[in-house]
Amino acid sequence: MRIATTWLCCCSGCHVSMLDLHERLLKLFEDVELVHCPVLMDVKEIPDDVDVALIEGGIRNEENVEVAEELREKAEVVVALGTCACYGGVPGLANLFSNEELLEAVYVETASTENEEGTIPSEGVPELTWRVHPFSDVIEVDYELPGCPPEPDRIAEVLEAILEGEEPELPGYNLCEECPREKREEGLIIPEIRRPVEGEPDPDRCLLEQGYLCMGPATRAGCGARCPKAGVPCTGCAGPTDRSVDQGARMLSTIASAFRADEDEVDPGELVERLRDPVSWFCRFTLPASLIPFRVDR
Amino acid sequence: MAKDWEPKIIAFCCNWCSYGGADTAGVGRMQHPPSARIVRVMCSGRVEPSLVLKAFREGADGVFVGGCHLGDCHYQSGNYKWWRRAEALKRYLEQIGIEPERFRYEWISASEGEKFAQVMTEFHETILELGPLKLDERLKKL
Ligand code: SF4
Ligand code: SF4
Ligand code: SF4
Ligand code: FES
Repeated sequence: MRIATTWLCCCSGCHVSMLDLHERLLKLFEDVELVHCPVLMDVKEIPDDVDVALIEGGIRNEENVEVAEELREKAEVVVALGTCACYGGVPGLANLFSNEELLEAVYVETASTENEEGTIPSEGVPELTWRVHPFSDVIEVDYELPGCPPEPDRIAEVLEAILEGEEPELPGYNLCEECPREKREEGLIIPEIRRPVEGEPDPDRCLLEQGYLCMGPATRAGCGARCPKAGVPCTGCAGPTDRSVDQGARMLSTIASAFRADEDEVDPGELVERLRDPVSWFCRFTLPASLIPFRVDR
Repeated sequence: MAKDWEPKIIAFCCNWCSYGGADTAGVGRMQHPPSARIVRVMCSGRVEPSLVLKAFREGADGVFVGGCHLGDCHYQSGNYKWWRRAEALKRYLEQIGIEPERFRYEWISASEGEKFAQVMTEFHETILELGPLKLDERLKKL
């Protein structure tokens, strides 16, 4: 089996997560030839006849588009590895700004930058695309493996299935179903909204019921509810479940519906007052794949 | 702005009140612009933010949601839930750069045909002033 991996608009964390398989990786790669892997090998050309391509990262520039297209042409099976590849990921929040604003911020305005002429690099660098995309906007994807990064065990399961010629499967349900925190039987009620730094969360009860904006209800299971188990609200890194089209909109809906749901006359003003930044909070990982994937007036 | 452009408005109206209001307006032959495509939903509480966002994505220049008056919802608290979602959604729209005026919600009972016609006329004019949203062109951009 000939495997190629590559990285586009990403942080390489998904590759590192794969390495976190440790010895299991040796077993997994027993019959595998790694033919292309810029993270580990000094390679320039993508060889022909790739069986499986694992692509980490989304699309941010023209080079990303070219590499994705070439891999699609040469590989039998293409896997989107990680949330950046599947939904654009955190770099996707750049879609809230124009490219000019971004370049200006990065090359001119940052406090530590010395660039008196205000030069923006333009030669010998690939041009930015108009916005960040999940790479399924550019090429056809066979399997998606979300997570920022995906859990090593999920990566192993998916790879094992593909190597065996089987269909890999992801849990289609949400994180709350695998979260051990106690939930009210009568359904979700959020009495108030608290910032993560406010108060001390009860160690056993659902965080959302305590007012901490945990994205569990709108997020795909698979990580074993890592963050809530450690007392930290889920920020939604695994993206939406099979049942929703837009993770951010789903979360917005859940929170607004459950906010003081036990009282009759609730003034929505109090809710909105506490939801200052819903887009970066609820679409932190999925903006480029959401229904409105960029700031419209940018 | 293209001369032949007409606003496209999607109006989600709850079965028990606002849809009735639209009907009353129709039966009473009250004039309002034909820019609204009415989608009947059982309750405003059924309308989720994603429905409104999807309408914009698929070409609406304005989205309207009509429900029963607060306290009159056929399912008791559906419109209270919707009210909170609507206000949270407004904040979201503002942040994502869609003028919040392109999104409007009202409480209209089945007997308030006149109110329905008036709200639709006003909303039509608001959207005329704002112009087309033109999302599709930018959605196609790489
Ligand atoms: S999904 Fe997360 S870990 Fe993977 S490339 Fe993106 S930011 Fe890095
Ligand atoms: S803590 Fe988060 S993931 Fe766990 S049940 Fe509550 S909302 Fe769901
Ligand atoms: S709990 Fe949420 S944010 Fe944390 S790893 Fe799991 S999906 Fe990602
Ligand atoms: S039935 Fe009209 S708003 Fe609920």
